[in-house]
Amino acid sequence: MGHLTRRSVLRGSLVLGAASVLPVPRVARAAPTTASVWFAQGFVQDEDVALRKAVADYEKASSNKIELSIIPFAPERQKIISALTSGVVPDVLDSNPNEILQIYAWQDRWVDVGDVVESQKGQFSETAIESSTAYNNVTKKRAIYGVPLRAAVVPCHIWRPLVEKAGFKIEDIPKTWNAYFDFFKKVQDGLRKQGERKVYGMGFQVTANGVDPYNLFIAFLVAYGGQGIVTKDGKLHLDDPKVKEAAIKAAAYLGGAYRDGYVPPSAINWNDADDNNAFHAKLMVMDVDGTLSTEVAMKEKHPEWYFKDMVTHGVPGYPTDNSGKPVPAVVGVTQGLIPKGAKNVTVAKEFLKYFIQPKVLSEFVELGLGRWLPVMPAAAKSPFWQDPKDPHLKGYVQMGLLGPTLPDYYVYNLAMAEVRTQHVWSMAMIDVAKDGAKPEVAVDKAFKRIEEIFAKYKAA
Amino acid sequence: MNSVSAVDVSRPALHRRTLSRSLRGSLKGGEYTWALAFVVPYLVVFVTFVAYPVVYGLWMGSDASLYRELFADPIYQSTVVNTILYLALGVNVKMFLALLLSGFFMRPGRWMKALLLIFVLPWAVPQISTFISIHWMLNGEWGFLNNVLYKFFHIEGPSWLNDRWMALGAVIVSHIWKWTPFWTLILLAGRMAIPLEIRDTARVDGATGLKGFVHITFPLLANLYLICTLLSTIFLLGDFNAVNFVSGGGPANSTHVLATLGIRDAFEIAHPRLGVAAVMSALPLVIPLVIVLMRKLRTTEVQL
Repeated sequence: MGHLTRRSVLRGSLVLGAASVLPVPRVARAAPTTASVWFAQGFVQDEDVALRKAVADYEKASSNKIELSIIPFAPERQKIISALTSGVVPDVLDSNPNEILQIYAWQDRWVDVGDVVESQKGQFSETAIESSTAYNNVTKKRAIYGVPLRAAVVPCHIWRPLVEKAGFKIEDIPKTWNAYFDFFKKVQDGLRKQGERKVYGMGFQVTANGVDPYNLFIAFLVAYGGQGIVTKDGKLHLDDPKVKEAAIKAAAYLGGAYRDGYVPPSAINWNDADDNNAFHAKLMVMDVDGTLSTEVAMKEKHPEWYFKDMVTHGVPGYPTDNSGKPVPAVVGVTQGLIPKGAKNVTVAKEFLKYFIQPKVLSEFVELGLGRWLPVMPAAAKSPFWQDPKDPHLKGYVQMGLLGPTLPDYYVYNLAMAEVRTQHVWSMAMIDVAKDGAKPEVAVDKAFKRIEEIFAKYKAA
Repeated sequence: MNSVSAVDVSRPALHRRTLSRSLRGSLKGGEYTWALAFVVPYLVVFVTFVAYPVVYGLWMGSDASLYRELFADPIYQSTVVNTILYLALGVNVKMFLALLLSGFFMRPGRWMKALLLIFVLPWAVPQISTFISIHWMLNGEWGFLNNVLYKFFHIEGPSWLNDRWMALGAVIVSHIWKWTPFWTLILLAGRMAIPLEIRDTARVDGATGLKGFVHITFPLLANLYLICTLLSTIFLLGDFNAVNFVSGGGPANSTHVLATLGIRDAFEIAHPRLGVAAVMSALPLVIPLVIVLMRKLRTTEVQL
C-alpha cells in the first residue's frame, strides 16, 4: 500500500470531484424529445389512471417521452410558484389553481399557445376559450396562454335519506333561489325534532380558507343579479346598484344562515376538503361544492350512496333566480400551460395538441369518473354523460357545459384573482355570520378592499 | 505630465505579495495548500447553502413598496399582535414549566425514569399528525373534547377554534405541550451538571428547598436558561406548523403569525416577494435576539 501524501490526497480529491460532475451533463443532455409534465393528483385514483393512460398513449403515438409528475393539489401549487420564481420550470403544467394563468400571464411568464388551441378551436365551448386568455402587462396585449383541458362548476349535493327523515321528499324542494335554500332550514328543523343534535341543513363554506368560499359567494352573487360586477372589458362596476344589492343579499343570506344556526359552526374554519368530509359523515343535508368529487369519491366504496342516497342538483334541480330565470353557472377551467424557460416547447405543444383531440380529452374526463367536466360540448353527448342509469352526470354536464355559463371574473381582470385569494368575500360573510355586522356594512368594507386591489392592476 | 514612475509599475505586484502574505499568515509551503484544500469545500457549502439563500432572501424582500403593500393588508396588524403573544406566552410559559419540571425529574428512583420516558413522548411523536389531531379534537360539533363533555357532563362545549382568542390559546397550548419535554431535558442536563459538592455544601449551610433553588440552582442555571429562551424565541418565530395545523390561521385569518402569513402571501396570493417581506418584517426583533445570543455564547466564564 502506497503512502498517503499531500499530492495523492489532492489528486484523489480532484478525480472524485471530476467523477461527481460527470453525470450532470447526461441529465442536462436529456433527449431532445423529452418533456416534463406536472399535474395535480386526482381526488379519486381513477383520475390519475386516466392521466397516465393519456400520457402513455401519446408516448406510443409519438417517439417522444413524457416525464410525468403527479403531485398532490396543495403542494403542486407551491411547487409551481417556486418553479416560476426560480426559473427552473417544467415543460407543461396544469393551472393549479386556475387563476395562476392570469396571475403569471400579467408578468409575461407563459408561452403563447394560440396555435395549440387553434388546432381544435371549433370544438371548445366559448367559456373554455375565453378562460384560456389573459392580459399580458409586458406586451400590453391579451393572448391565449392556456389550453383548456377540463372544467368544473358548483352544483348542489343532497342526502336523500336525511331529507326523508325530516318528513320531506326530494321532489318537495322548491325551484327558486331563496325558497330552495330555505327548504333545507325546514329540513334541519325537522331533523332536530327527530333528535338529530348535530346535523345541519346547509354546508356553506363560510370560511377564509381554500377556493370554496369564493365559488359559493359568486354563485349567490350571480343568482341575485350581480353578474355584471366585472365586465368583459375588465372594468369593475361596484357603483352599479344591482351589483351592490346582489352582494348585500349574498352576504346576508350566507352569513345569516350561519348566524341562525343552519350551518355547522366549524364551517368558519373549514378548508377545501372539510365540507366533503362533513358531508360524507352525514353531518349536513346539503352542500354547495365544486366538481362531482363528493359523489365519485364514494362510487366504489359505497355504491348505494352514489346510486341511491346522494342527489346532485345540476340542471334540472339547481335553483333558478328568485324571478324564475336560469342562473348561469360560473365555470372554472383547468388549462395546460407552458412556462417561458421550458426546455422543450416543441414537444410540450405537440403533447398538448395530442391531448386536446376530442377523443383523447373525452376519454380523459370519462375515465376520471366524470369528476371534471369536458370542455367540448360535443363530448357531453356521449353515452357516458347521458347514461340514464347514472343519477349525477347528466345534470352536471347540462349545468356546466350545455346550459348558460360564464367564465370566472379573474379571466376579465386579474385583480379578481387576488380578491379570491385574499378572501375578501369570505370576510364579508364572516362579518355577518360571526360578528353580527349589517350586510350593508360588511359589503361596504369588502368593496373598499376590492377597489384597493383593483387599483394595483390599473393597466388591465 | 503622464509619465509612469517605476514605483507606480511595481505597486500592484507589491500589493499582491502583501495580500498573499497576509492570507498565508504563519503557514509555510505545503501547509498553505493543505489549508486551502480543507477550507474550500467548507466555503463552497457555506456560500451555497447559507450565504446565497440569505442574500437571495434579502434581495427578494428589499423593495420598499412590498412593505407598503404588506402594511396595507388588513390582517397584518393582528398578525403582528398574534406573533408577539405567541412568542411571549409560548416561550416563557414553556420555559418556566420546563425549569420546574426539570427539578421534579431530578428526584431519584426508577419510576422517575419511566415517567420521564412517558413525559418526552409528545416531543418524540411527529408534530404534524399531532397538531392535526388536536385540530380535530377541538372541532365544536364532532370533536373528541366536546363529545366527552356531552357524554359525561351533558355540557355543550364551545366551538373552540371559532373565536380568535380561544383558537390562538389552543395554538399556544399545543406548542407548549409539544415542546416543553425537549426544553425540560435540556434544563435537566444543566441541573445534572451542577457539581454535587456545591449542592451538598449549600444544604449544610441551610440552603434547601426554595432557598437552595433561589440561591444556588437558579443562579447557576441562569445563563443556560437565558440561552434556551433566546433560542426558543428564534425557533418559534419561524414556526409554521402549530398555527397552520391547529387553527389554520382562522377563524377569518385572525390567528396568523408572521411565518404563516408569509407562506399565505407567497403561495396562496402567489406573491413570493410579499411572503418574504412578511417574514423579513420580523428582523427588527430577530437581529437583537441573535446579537444577545452570540454575546451570551461567547461568555468565557465557567457558567452552566
